[in-house]
Amino acid sequence: MSQPESFGGRFRTHVADLERALEADDEAAFRGAFERLREKLNVEMNPELKRLAADAQSALRRFRERARLEVLADQEVPDARKRLAHVVKLTEEAAHRTLDLVEQSSPLVDRAALGAAQLIEEWGLHGSRQLAVATLWPERVLETLERTLRDSEHLRRYLSQMLLAQGYQDLSGQIIGSVVTLVVELESVLGQLVAIANGEDTRRMPVLKLEDLQALSQARGAAGPQVPGVKNGAVVEGQADIDALIASVAGGPR
Amino acid sequence: MSNAMKFLVVDDFSTMRRIVKGLLNELGYSDITEADDGNTALPLLKNGSFDFLITDWNMPGMPGLDLLKAVRGDAKLAKLPVLMLTAEAKREQIIEAAQAGVSGYVIKPFTAATLKEKIDKILASKAAA
Repeated sequence: MSQPESFGGRFRTHVADLERALEADDEAAFRGAFERLREKLNVEMNPELKRLAADAQSALRRFRERARLEVLADQEVPDARKRLAHVVKLTEEAAHRTLDLVEQSSPLVDRAALGAAQLIEEWGLHGSRQLAVATLWPERVLETLERTLRDSEHLRRYLSQMLLAQGYQDLSGQIIGSVVTLVVELESVLGQLVAIANGEDTRRMPVLKLEDLQALSQARGAAGPQVPGVKNGAVVEGQADIDALIASVAGGPR
Repeated sequence: MSNAMKFLVVDDFSTMRRIVKGLLNELGYSDITEADDGNTALPLLKNGSFDFLITDWNMPGMPGLDLLKAVRGDAKLAKLPVLMLTAEAKREQIIEAAQAGVSGYVIKPFTAATLKEKIDKILASKAAA
């Protein structure tokens, strides 16, 4: 088996040619010897360069396949933007709805308090039950009680609506949860990009897949709340549609 | 059935559990127990004597659909009325829930009137059965 040529052996003749050309002051011979040396160096370096280029290309290809770059860039990041915009809308609407209801409730509470205060004041002016009964005070009490009862019913309805308005927290929480999983995946992708830029081997780096991440925030088979502009398959329109769908399934509602 | 009925409300979001509980209180139901997913709900159902189950679908641990299937697969619980209260609005999901035996299905966000109507309807069909 032949031994690989040593470093000295590979370049000694070229250096000797260069020295001879210099001593002979022969520029053409010097340039010829130099060119041969350069070719020799190229021949030796090319396989190494090719290997490095192939490694980089392979790492990038692997990275693209595993990181789902196209899907992330084309679909999921824009979807995440729409999801977050929808969360902003949900929270804003809920806040306005709650504030509206508080504004509608306040006059009712004020009116009840004012009516009660006036009746108490008048009771004090009459001085005794007999005197109060002899005036229109009892009628005014009845009128105030009837009005307070009506106002209380409105107030109860407003409070119930305030309660329901807080449901945005559940929906926005689910939507934000899905965006968080995307951010975690993007963080992993950026980590791999940095590793590739630093010339590290990414083959053994752990890869986070969105499906695995989604399991953390979303149950199997669950799609989460509907978000305008984000495609999510065929969805129902209203309660009547849901009821009809359930009734259409064998057995109907139980 | 009367307002002395026992409800189990299952949702991973505590705010939604409080909302449903508050609405049930308004409807006159006061015996309400909470659970945050199917895994915690199922032992409660098996050991308690609940009259009505209201459950979310999308929950970590055991999702609502699995809880529904477990309920229908348990001889003691099979007839329990189950109302699914969820943000899941895909037709295929509703069909899946119906095939699994859901009694009613309401999509979030919902109104107090819708919740009342569904509960009343489910109880009426149970009474008629």
